[in-house]
Amino acid sequence: MSGIASKLQHDREKAQGIGTNSQAVKYLNQDYEALRRNCLESGRLFEDETFEAEPSSLGFKELGAGSSKARGVTWKRPTELTRNPKFIQQDATRTDICQGALGDCWLLAAIASLTLNKQVLSRVVPSDQSFDDGYAGIFHFEFWQFGEWVDVVVDDRLPTRDGELLFVHSAAGSEFWSALLEKAYAKLNGCYEALSGGSTTEGFEDFTGGIAEVHELRKAGPHLFKIIQKALNRGSLLGCSIDITSAHDSEAITSQKLVKGHAYSVTGVDVVEYRGEMVQLIRVRNPWGQVEWTGAWSDRSSEWNYVSDEDRSRLKNASEDGEFWMSFSDWMRHYSRIEICNLTPDALTDDEFDKWALSKFEGSWRTGSTAGGCRNYPNTFWQNPQFVIKLEEEDDDPDDNEVGCTFIVGLIQKNRRQMRKMGEDMHTIGFAIYKDVGRRQVHLHKNFFLRNASKARSETFVNLREVCSRFCLPPGEYLILPSTFEPNKNGDFAVRVFSEKHAEFEELDDPVDCHVEEIHVDEDDIDSRFASLFGQLAGHDKEICAFELQKILNKVVTKRSDIKTDGFSLTTCRNMVNLLDKDGSGKLGIIEFKILWTKIQKYLDYYRERDADKSGCMSSAEMRMAVEDAGFTLNNPLHQILVARYSESDLSIDFDNFVCCLVRLESMFKTFKTLDKDNSGTVELNLFEVSRAPLHISDSTLPEKY
Amino acid sequence: QFVPSDPPPVRRPHAYADQYESDEERQFRKVFQQLAGDDMEVSPTELMNILNRIISKHQDLKTDGFSIESCRSMVAVMDSDSTGKLGFHEFKHLWNNIKKWQGVYKQFDTDGSGLIGADELPNAFRAAGFPLNDQLFEMIIRRYSDESGNMDFDNYIGCLVRLDAMCRAFKTLDKDNNGTIKVNVQEWLQLTMYS
Repeated sequence: MSGIASKLQHDREKAQGIGTNSQAVKYLNQDYEALRRNCLESGRLFEDETFEAEPSSLGFKELGAGSSKARGVTWKRPTELTRNPKFIQQDATRTDICQGALGDCWLLAAIASLTLNKQVLSRVVPSDQSFDDGYAGIFHFEFWQFGEWVDVVVDDRLPTRDGELLFVHSAAGSEFWSALLEKAYAKLNGCYEALSGGSTTEGFEDFTGGIAEVHELRKAGPHLFKIIQKALNRGSLLGCSIDITSAHDSEAITSQKLVKGHAYSVTGVDVVEYRGEMVQLIRVRNPWGQVEWTGAWSDRSSEWNYVSDEDRSRLKNASEDGEFWMSFSDWMRHYSRIEICNLTPDALTDDEFDKWALSKFEGSWRTGSTAGGCRNYPNTFWQNPQFVIKLEEEDDDPDDNEVGCTFIVGLIQKNRRQMRKMGEDMHTIGFAIYKDVGRRQVHLHKNFFLRNASKARSETFVNLREVCSRFCLPPGEYLILPSTFEPNKNGDFAVRVFSEKHAEFEELDDPVDCHVEEIHVDEDDIDSRFASLFGQLAGHDKEICAFELQKILNKVVTKRSDIKTDGFSLTTCRNMVNLLDKDGSGKLGIIEFKILWTKIQKYLDYYRERDADKSGCMSSAEMRMAVEDAGFTLNNPLHQILVARYSESDLSIDFDNFVCCLVRLESMFKTFKTLDKDNSGTVELNLFEVSRAPLHISDSTLPEKY
Repeated sequence: QFVPSDPPPVRRPHAYADQYESDEERQFRKVFQQLAGDDMEVSPTELMNILNRIISKHQDLKTDGFSIESCRSMVAVMDSDSTGKLGFHEFKHLWNNIKKWQGVYKQFDTDGSGLIGADELPNAFRAAGFPLNDQLFEMIIRRYSDESGNMDFDNYIGCLVRLDAMCRAFKTLDKDNNGTIKVNVQEWLQLTMYS
């Protein structure tokens, strides 16, 4: 209840815009402004007790306390390291961040690309910070984390050895934003060591909130040039690199001065007429700010002599700044892959860029209810969360013979990096896309997926943080099903769709409703056999209380070999009495008991019908259907709760739990309807009204005066 | 008017938690690991076994043992991610509360019966942080106490765990502190079915 409440409150705040870049969530509830003000007033420098200047913040294994790498580390503030530290050097024309003793070059490459886009940089690194005015030893940064922006506060004590920064540092040694950014990112991930070994795309995404796609150049499709061109027009961050074949190959420089295993940025493409032919060119930048390509179309190459004066003056740039042109075909041959980080519309306020339309949804996989696994598991596949996207307009591509709607689907799993320490690794995830039947508000069932083949899918199922693919499909409605490879893996995810044109996106799920049929019984419906049975059970007061009901039911169900149960609890029996007790006596008369008996007969039918293997138990996977049989339509969050609350550890649901669940559901629907006097769909409750349900205090338990 | 216990601490990465534990916490983590098994989570059955093992050592607490239904309910009100199990922090929170409330139970069992009588109950609950009104006390006694108005230890704990969770839930959702919360049918079912 308290857990669920936190989740509901989180959803509500999200709906109010908390978690967007302008209203970032305060990580660990630390408020930068308040903390800084406190420090200034008390005249001391900030010390972050949530990320101490201690070995634990460095790491747990290679950088763990007592490890050789962590030996001799002292934490120092920039003011102790240099006389005149700067947060960002105003006159710096190029970024000169250098990697330290940590395998986080992926992060550095991402930081390097970030500096190329001032607007994006200023979202991650709020610029109103310095070592001069209002310095209090505290800094803050904003990162995108699985669908929301978080504001992370750090103190400026940095790990050093022999007076030098241990990790990221600036070449000049006096600029500190990159080292502090790294510290904030380490805090977010638990420690510095948690950052080692990652991919640039992860960094790209955490700094921009965009979707990063990777294109292997060996396998690139025919439209790659166009894709890159469009990406540049959209202000996307683009990085390219050359694979290394062995470790000592890292940063090896080829004869034509390309660096292997190094992250380059792509900054432009163009087409020029060269000796009567149109040639595609690409502009690449080495973040070192030097070491440039020396082959065709490089700064001083002769190819430039054979293009028009206009093209030459527009494109040619002979300075040694790390940036150079190559022919697109040379680039394809020399490089191994390109990573494109597509930005969300809110990252680009500038009108000069085209913008993607963004749709996103968060969801979760839960064992036994919504963790259905991939298509190899047809009995549970359909239980995964389902999303539908409606693509209405085709792309604007006058000279493209491929007609259709371009969109990118990214499926990201949440919070897995932090769990590393526990030995939990990434789930293997992927998604499938189906042509939709055009229905809404219906969670599609098993049969749909048996009858229809998928239209498209993620390239593979992989154990990466995110799987992402680009599609071009005719206009229409499409169903997206994200899943783990195997069923019954608990996980949280977000699905994002970037589309060229506006698209409607919504979760496909059943509306929450109850249409249980009322059972009407009058005196005439009761035969003499039932009446005499009741007489025996009820005793002299001619009524059955919860205790008596428990005895009766347990006597009946334990005799049956076709259903498994460990007996009805008193709580269940109380709930049953409460559901049927019309006169508030806390006991059931003969008519009420007859109604209950009829209900239980029905429950028994649903239960046995769904127990396909006649094990006497229902599997949690069958629960969804059984609950529907009984007259309830529920959505994913509720199905998850039912399984979590009522299933055994082997994911089976025995008969008493099944009955307990259905009785409680019906009661709670009824209570809501009673409370919702004006039928508005929402109710306003005070503490007293709320307190009864979780305490399992029903109306019949109430003292008379109520 | 309720004073719920502190909310569970913010989840921190394990690398952090490990280093900052006191010896007592480290001890507790070891116990938790043994209890929770490979998945590092406590299921209702596991919770029932551990609670019953421990109360069997306390002769001064009268109880007929925690039922599985009661443990399911306790897990549900504490569980934050709908997995049906308790993680380390959730379990520790529950554990600390049980220890605290056990002290209250002994203190207010003034006649040493091992039970909390109807006359002892209001003071005990007040000391536990729940100064309820008479109506609620009356309801609780009807629901959780035996025919003579005595509450045994498992019912006492079961009731307080839910009461505490409910208060925290209410506080979380009553952002403007006006004493009421608004919920739709889905939220209502999420809150009440998972308890």
